[in-house]
Amino acid sequence: MVSSPRSQYGVITMSTQASAVSTPGRVRIEIRHHGLVRLTHWLNVPILSGLIVSGLAIYWAAPVYRHAPDATTGNTDYVGDIGTWITSHVPGLQSYPRPQTWVYDRLSIGPWQLAIALRLHWFFAYLFMANGLLYLVGLLAGGGYRALLPRRTDLRDALRMARYYAGWIPARLLRRSWTHPVVMTKYNALQRAAYFAMPVFGGLSVLSGWAMHKPVQLWWLERLFVNYDGARVVHFWLMVAFAAFVAPHVVLVVADGWDTLRSMVTGWSKRLSGGGHGAA
Amino acid sequence: MERRDVRDVTLQQFRARSRRDFLLFGAGAAALGAGFWWLLPEAARSRWIPSRANHALDTLAARVGATPDRREKFLDRALTFDDDVAEALYSPNRTVRTYPRSAITPLRNNYAGGTPNPDYLGGWRLELSGLASGSAEHLSIGELLARFPPREQITRLVCVEGWSAVAWWDGIRFAELLAAYPPGPGARWASLESAVNVGPDGNVDPYYVSIDLATARHPQTLLATHKDGQPLPLAHGAPLRLLAPMKLGLKNIKAITAIRYSAEEPPDYWARQGYSKYDGL
Repeated sequence: MVSSPRSQYGVITMSTQASAVSTPGRVRIEIRHHGLVRLTHWLNVPILSGLIVSGLAIYWAAPVYRHAPDATTGNTDYVGDIGTWITSHVPGLQSYPRPQTWVYDRLSIGPWQLAIALRLHWFFAYLFMANGLLYLVGLLAGGGYRALLPRRTDLRDALRMARYYAGWIPARLLRRSWTHPVVMTKYNALQRAAYFAMPVFGGLSVLSGWAMHKPVQLWWLERLFVNYDGARVVHFWLMVAFAAFVAPHVVLVVADGWDTLRSMVTGWSKRLSGGGHGAA
Repeated sequence: MERRDVRDVTLQQFRARSRRDFLLFGAGAAALGAGFWWLLPEAARSRWIPSRANHALDTLAARVGATPDRREKFLDRALTFDDDVAEALYSPNRTVRTYPRSAITPLRNNYAGGTPNPDYLGGWRLELSGLASGSAEHLSIGELLARFPPREQITRLVCVEGWSAVAWWDGIRFAELLAAYPPGPGARWASLESAVNVGPDGNVDPYYVSIDLATARHPQTLLATHKDGQPLPLAHGAPLRLLAPMKLGLKNIKAITAIRYSAEEPPDYWARQGYSKYDGL
């Protein structure tokens, strides 16, 4: 980056360095997230947790992924098989009384809870829809949607970022310098793809949910997912996608530093985007 | 393309905002966490934390008025809200999708206590009460089939558990029975009782469902007498079952013995166990 003399007059240039302090006792900040975006972002934590723990209990009543009965256990459920595998391979779990329910015991409100699971699922589903609408309002009101829209350079930039992330740990181990690609926008291409996908996945979860919930009155929705089981399959994998998003999301936020986490609470960041993101 | 909202603030402003927002965030997280925990069923909570801690939390919650009773009422309200949405979505003119014979799939015998003993079939009669005439009617299968034209239908039956099956039925239209034996004035509901009242443990467990008359009058709501072109087998509700494909399978009561019309909503077996009362698809 070419550094220009630090601005004395509050004039912001493209070469403003990250965390630039313009005047003593003052700090230059960027408003990164609208209040509604921050609120709905955090509300998603209990809402999605509630949907998953109740949803898996509903799934358990009649799994959509089944196979012929197992010769020894009689089990027909792939998710049950995962539990059997885990309890037989993880030390200390060998004596687990019902291996097939291990996953449901951990990640759902439990087997034989269908009536309560349905009520919880409807409760959290209506909250999820209301929360999603508020999020969209916040995205529009704060202009945050602009940073999420896909752009033409995304594919090339995403490959650069993927290469950077993949090489980060080897580079550390070999004590080689490993520079972060220059990113002039609020998000890099991989972040943008992930953050853009989340509201799309949320919308698809709602649509596939209604397709299963009201396949007669909303018959056109059921047809959108081919048939009833099509909606179940899509709904299931969207849950997996949300869960798969959370792990790297949390790791990268922690890696990125306190400013990033704080900005999702206060909305303000001391790191000005377009500053080149020399190192993350 | 991306507009940046950049401004200069004093350090005091920055710190004050951080302090305020983190306090709000902490308070909100604590309140939401407590509310979330409170909503979970006992069975789940006792598996996730030791029962002593669980008990202490419950006592604490009850002290601020968050009793298990209130939790049930709160979740009941979510269910009632969803039922109201379902009823608002219902249209008497919307037809349920029908399938060709090639789409028929195996249908589970979902009797809780296994296939029933055929004893009840001897001398079986359908009892109709709550009629405008003031007296009850008792009709045999032969009388029903002679009186009302047969209707064929291949539709999907969707279970509350999530599985579904396409099956081929024949029967009479519930709407035509209603027209021939009109219910009493102000009737909005039908209560249907089954001849098969055995629970999963083999004990007596009466089975009955409520159906709103708007659903009963739908042209695709049948009182089915045949499956796959043959008289209903015991497993699927011989000699007469309800087939309301715009309702969940649990409303599609088998081996009907009595239909009673009423102005008030009658009790429903599954609603008493915490499921929806309406169950509209």
